[in-house]
Amino acid sequence: MRITLKMSFLSILSVMVMVPLAVSSSFAADEIFIGGALSLTGVQAPLDEPGLKGAQVAVKYLNDHGGILGKQVKFVNIDGKSDPVTVGNAAVELIDKGASLIVAPCDFDFGGPASREAQKVGIVGISTCASDPLYSSWSLGDKQFTLSMWNTTMGAAGAEYAFNERGWKTAYVVTDQFIAYTKSLSKYFVAHFKTLGGNVLAEETYTQGDQDFSAQLSRLKAIKPQPDVIYISSYMPDLGTIIRSIREVGITSPIMGGDSYDDPGLFEALGEKFGSDIYFVTHTWMGSEAHPDMGKFIEAYRAYHGSPPDTSFVATGWDTIMLMAQAAEIAGSLDGAAIAKVLETKEFSLLTGKLSYRSAKEGHAPDKAAVLIGLSNGKPAFIGWRQPKNPPAP
Amino acid sequence: MSAGTILQFVLDILSLGSLYALMALGLVIVYGILKLVNFAYGELIMVAGYTLYLLNASPFPWLVMALAAILMAIAIGLMTEFVAFKPVRSKSVTAVLITSFAFSTLLQNAALLFISPRARNVPLPDIFTQSVEILDVVIPIRNLITIACALLMLGAFSFVMKRTVLGLALRAAASQFTMARMVGIPANMIISLAFAISGLFAGVVAILWLGRIGSVVPGIGLEPLLVAFIATVIGGMRSLLGAVVGGYLLALIDVSFNYGLSQQLLHFRDAFTFTIVILILLFRPSGLIKGRETGLRT
Repeated sequence: MRITLKMSFLSILSVMVMVPLAVSSSFAADEIFIGGALSLTGVQAPLDEPGLKGAQVAVKYLNDHGGILGKQVKFVNIDGKSDPVTVGNAAVELIDKGASLIVAPCDFDFGGPASREAQKVGIVGISTCASDPLYSSWSLGDKQFTLSMWNTTMGAAGAEYAFNERGWKTAYVVTDQFIAYTKSLSKYFVAHFKTLGGNVLAEETYTQGDQDFSAQLSRLKAIKPQPDVIYISSYMPDLGTIIRSIREVGITSPIMGGDSYDDPGLFEALGEKFGSDIYFVTHTWMGSEAHPDMGKFIEAYRAYHGSPPDTSFVATGWDTIMLMAQAAEIAGSLDGAAIAKVLETKEFSLLTGKLSYRSAKEGHAPDKAAVLIGLSNGKPAFIGWRQPKNPPAP
Repeated sequence: MSAGTILQFVLDILSLGSLYALMALGLVIVYGILKLVNFAYGELIMVAGYTLYLLNASPFPWLVMALAAILMAIAIGLMTEFVAFKPVRSKSVTAVLITSFAFSTLLQNAALLFISPRARNVPLPDIFTQSVEILDVVIPIRNLITIACALLMLGAFSFVMKRTVLGLALRAAASQFTMARMVGIPANMIISLAFAISGLFAGVVAILWLGRIGSVVPGIGLEPLLVAFIATVIGGMRSLLGAVVGGYLLALIDVSFNYGLSQQLLHFRDAFTFTIVILILLFRPSGLIKGRETGLRT
């Protein structure tokens, strides 16, 4: 209920957010127009802004190297303002202006409307990093995709690392009731951890915005013996509060989670003192260990934006544009059906891992590997790529 | 229940309640005089947080940074009055509602554009991350600091309100603004003063609230604003004491549910909390502590 209140507050606010960026209508026929409805303001901004920055670098790179199908690429983003209706309207406006591909926001609730508009006119829409399995061809249509692995993979990769590689048999799970992402991630972790033979000692609830973990903490401390691993599915900034509270009272059990941990803000908030024995599953790693081309990307990013990336989420934006470019090149046209067919049948090597999609009947489920990162003394380190064997069904 | 559990329960309520009470007091001090809710109140906390973040690299000791952050909250509090309230406050409630929302949006977007939409960490002293053990219960020292800080602030505030000319002027302006002006209380100064005090509370809350979180995001002020609003509504919008009572009561309700509800019901904790809020309002429509009848909006 507090969330709904919050959302209504936010929607009141978002009505008043700045004047939208004007879309220039100078669109030439020898250009390929990619439209973005990413949110630069509101709750979705932390996830969409890095994606946009990565996408801009990709467009520059493509144009410097001959564009797509021999044509220069034009990329325009209209601020979706973290409001599903505005995101949908932004997509409509972009399509009216001639967009032949749509980059959708990094979340089902906010990205879905952009994909639905793209589907209506038969063009391909790709979300930069929506990971809820709702982002599928089942719910959005046969030309819609998400670049991210699904939470099924994200949760299962964590469970396999914990159980198979580390031998952690018992888990304590905290679920933030914030959004579909936080709820489904721990659901799939629990499902897969149990399938592997692990034992979930307790599942705990947290309400985003509380900044108070004391009651849950007293229950956690009462568990004897302590769990082998603590799985927390939450979101910044509350995620920092929860981990700090746990570490503050001297609980040293390893902590695991998903891509919301992939944030330098979290590493700094935990610092050397609390930032140890924490592991998370995410999209990629900003180093050549993850992909040989990563160094090139970071260099291009630095040249374009003037500073190195502050989160690995920038790679999702780059990948989305590059995936579109590769698929269009193979298809030989910008036709939605042709590009969707290529995406369904080919495998792509991206900064965020090897990616192939299942057919539209199978929901466009992404077969994708995940990156495991470990945090030690507040410093992240690359552990490796992992692809869970049989992730739970959505 | 062991003595330790009870101690922990009580301390949890007191430390969260202290924060809520300070948040509520900062909101109600302005409401008391202007009869208008400052919706940009949460952003004062955000501004203090970003001040801390920006000073992170500076060579100053932490206390100086904290002081600078609080001063910044006061400055922005005064600016809120100057930019959003003063030009329109004699016109209509709707106008002020919109300008205060607009100012809040402006500040949030400034943080979004000029810093980042992603979380930025704030420097914290070591004592904020240490803990002590009492009766086999580990208590973060930060919680004890919060309680002590709140008691100090509430004590000082109550002294100022009751024993000084300033306090008398503030109380007079809150109860009969026109009459207060007639006897020579400078209206604009009193209103500015109320905003400055509001900023002071927001600044202190920011230090303690961010001390729990460790980082700041542009939307960080929403929850404190909401908490302050609910606490003042149940405590009584017209009474300063009501705001404090409301803050502690809200913490009592929240923490009790967190401890007492089963996992299945805990998902719906906010529904239970607001049910109690509604019940309180059904029986005491103007809040638990009624406060004196006041004059018209100024």
